[in-house]
Amino acid sequence: MKIHDSLDALLDALPLKDGLSISFHHHLRDGDRVINLVLNALKERNIKGMHLYASSIFPSYTAIKDLVISGHISDITTNYMNGPVAEYISENGLPGTLTMQSHGGRARAFEEGENKVDIAFIAAPASTKDGDVTGARGKNAFGSIGYAVSDALYANTKVVITDTIEKTLKPQIEGSHIDHLLKIDSIGDIARMASGTLKITKDPVGLKIARETIRFLDAVNAIKNGVSFQSGAGSVSLSITRMFNEYLKSKKLKGSFYSGGITGLHVNALKEGLVNDLYDVQCFDRAAAMSLLENPHHHFMSASDYANPHNPNRIIKDLDIVILGATEIDLDFNVNVTTDSYNTLIGGSGGHSDTAEDAKLSIIVSPLLRARTVLIKDRVNTITTKGTHVDVLVTERGIAVNPKRKDLINTLKNTTLNVMKIEELRQLAYNLTGTPAHKDHKLTPIGIVENRDGSRQDTLYKKE
Amino acid sequence: MARSYLFIPANEPRMLQNAYVFEADAIILDLEDSVAIEEKHEARFLAREFLRHHPRGSAKTYVRINTESDWLKQDLSMLEHVPIDGIVLPKLTLKMWNTYKKHAESIGVDTDIIGIVETPDAFFELDALGDKTPIKGLILGGEDLVSALKTTRSIEGRELLYPRSMVKMACARHGILAIDTPWTTLDETNLKTDIKHARTHGFDGKCAIHPNQVPLINEALSPSKESIDFARRVVEKHETTKSMRFSLDGQMIDKPVLARAKETLAKASRYGLLKEGLNENS
Repeated sequence: MKIHDSLDALLDALPLKDGLSISFHHHLRDGDRVINLVLNALKERNIKGMHLYASSIFPSYTAIKDLVISGHISDITTNYMNGPVAEYISENGLPGTLTMQSHGGRARAFEEGENKVDIAFIAAPASTKDGDVTGARGKNAFGSIGYAVSDALYANTKVVITDTIEKTLKPQIEGSHIDHLLKIDSIGDIARMASGTLKITKDPVGLKIARETIRFLDAVNAIKNGVSFQSGAGSVSLSITRMFNEYLKSKKLKGSFYSGGITGLHVNALKEGLVNDLYDVQCFDRAAAMSLLENPHHHFMSASDYANPHNPNRIIKDLDIVILGATEIDLDFNVNVTTDSYNTLIGGSGGHSDTAEDAKLSIIVSPLLRARTVLIKDRVNTITTKGTHVDVLVTERGIAVNPKRKDLINTLKNTTLNVMKIEELRQLAYNLTGTPAHKDHKLTPIGIVENRDGSRQDTLYKKE
Repeated sequence: MARSYLFIPANEPRMLQNAYVFEADAIILDLEDSVAIEEKHEARFLAREFLRHHPRGSAKTYVRINTESDWLKQDLSMLEHVPIDGIVLPKLTLKMWNTYKKHAESIGVDTDIIGIVETPDAFFELDALGDKTPIKGLILGGEDLVSALKTTRSIEGRELLYPRSMVKMACARHGILAIDTPWTTLDETNLKTDIKHARTHGFDGKCAIHPNQVPLINEALSPSKESIDFARRVVEKHETTKSMRFSLDGQMIDKPVLARAKETLAKASRYGLLKEGLNENS
């Protein structure tokens, strides 16, 4: 392994060429500094037509937009994107293709040679001089570095960029996989890692949805000893996690594991003995990052161990309950969290489609109305997660169960929960908003949504 | 009868849209204190459209009107021919009642009235209000009252100990609803304490000024699972033995205890806590 003392020296040593494929992870979320640093340097060296494999793209990753405009990036494969890059691509497309994968699908695609990456640039909070890497130490410790493991194992050339060199550490990625090491002043701003979505809602509609979700889980007796649970980092999901913890405590129950992105709420559950283990692919806040370092029952996992559909030992195959959001849902329970109704890219699957498919009970939580926009459509604009993998929709005005889950429908007959058909729930919304006029869409393809198995699931179109 | 009465500012469309979502047993569309003077007209318009066209939820629907003469008339005119369960009349005194009655009769509004007692005058007329007006309930208006008394609300609630007792006593005497004043900050712990004050005094319901207060009020003013179980067994044993005096769990049961047990079950039924399959208080 080679250690370099400057970015220029590093780039001099790398096999740079036009059409290069490069990868980055997103563990520092909006606080990442490495992706802009490297991309700007590659632009200076005029490397054209690159294929960017970024596990996610956040608003601060502005260099991507610059390099797309200048022709240095032609193709992007990612799991999630929002902000200026997403807006630009929505309006203009790419010279090449945009491919949206899931977290599990990305890991699978690396392992099966579909994501062919020449150079993986791995921002690491701490590394040894031998290239052993952890996300859990250093001044910018973000905890788990789970999404970068595939890159480290399967890219042709692997580069670690760190701001902290330690003599020894317990590696999440072993140095034997790493080819180059560069130390810089700072890989990012850890304070911005938790910015954005990670707040428990105080919105009364969101809290109503959270309460209804717990009532639903109670009514179908889904929360039992040994239950496993995952929820996202959205404000409603976090409220559900808090209420889920309170439910376990009040009923004197203990869960087996929480998985996925981990927050302080999950950590509290572990500390209070409400759950046996945490399986962590990504820490969403500092409390989670600290816990991963200190608590032996808080386990690091790679994206493949988390959600790769072809990994028989993936954690989420044993997941009982997952709570997920939706921008749109349709009458067949297909869910869109990738685009808005005008084709603007506003997110992506992340682990949405992975967990919905694998979990025994997949629950979508969302307001039925956002201002005057109705959640339920005839057909979602983009299928992020297939309706066949979705069991229940919980809104502030009612609960709809996928007709395929006759067991749940029968169980709910004896409860006071406001359960109705999804068509009835939509009509209830229309009674408030009026029925929206049908709009003809002008469709110019700009990319695809991939199933987690690599098959084509849907097409992405240019913003209207 | 309702546990929670949620004030919804009538000039806020988003709140109106979700008015029946928040699980309040009753909503009060507010034209009075939460609406700025320059927005009174818009609030009346929005309230009327809401009452005419918004699908009704299961919650009772009231409107709090203004008491200044011109606004009172305009508010009542707006309420003509719209479906509501009643009007909430602020600053209730005998004089205010007479003013209201005169305008309501001339406009042709005839609906139930819940009065807010929030001035010292009102507290010297409580019995007369119960006697001489057809009001269906009294809301204690704690904030205005403490201002008039030159004091402030406290979490201990000592400043409202006497007013709460007076309101409850008058309501009990006249068989009308006693509804407690809202707690005006959003901290859950203090709200829970304030709800306890209402419960201790035997209030039937409590006002909420934020939707997030509603679940706590509903829970605290509902019969507990234990009290429902006990009431169920009291009534069952009474029906089996046909006796008015018997022992249960070492406690002597007589007519007042039996009456309370039946009231507990009636409340539990009203609030959907008895239905098969429901985990009570979950």
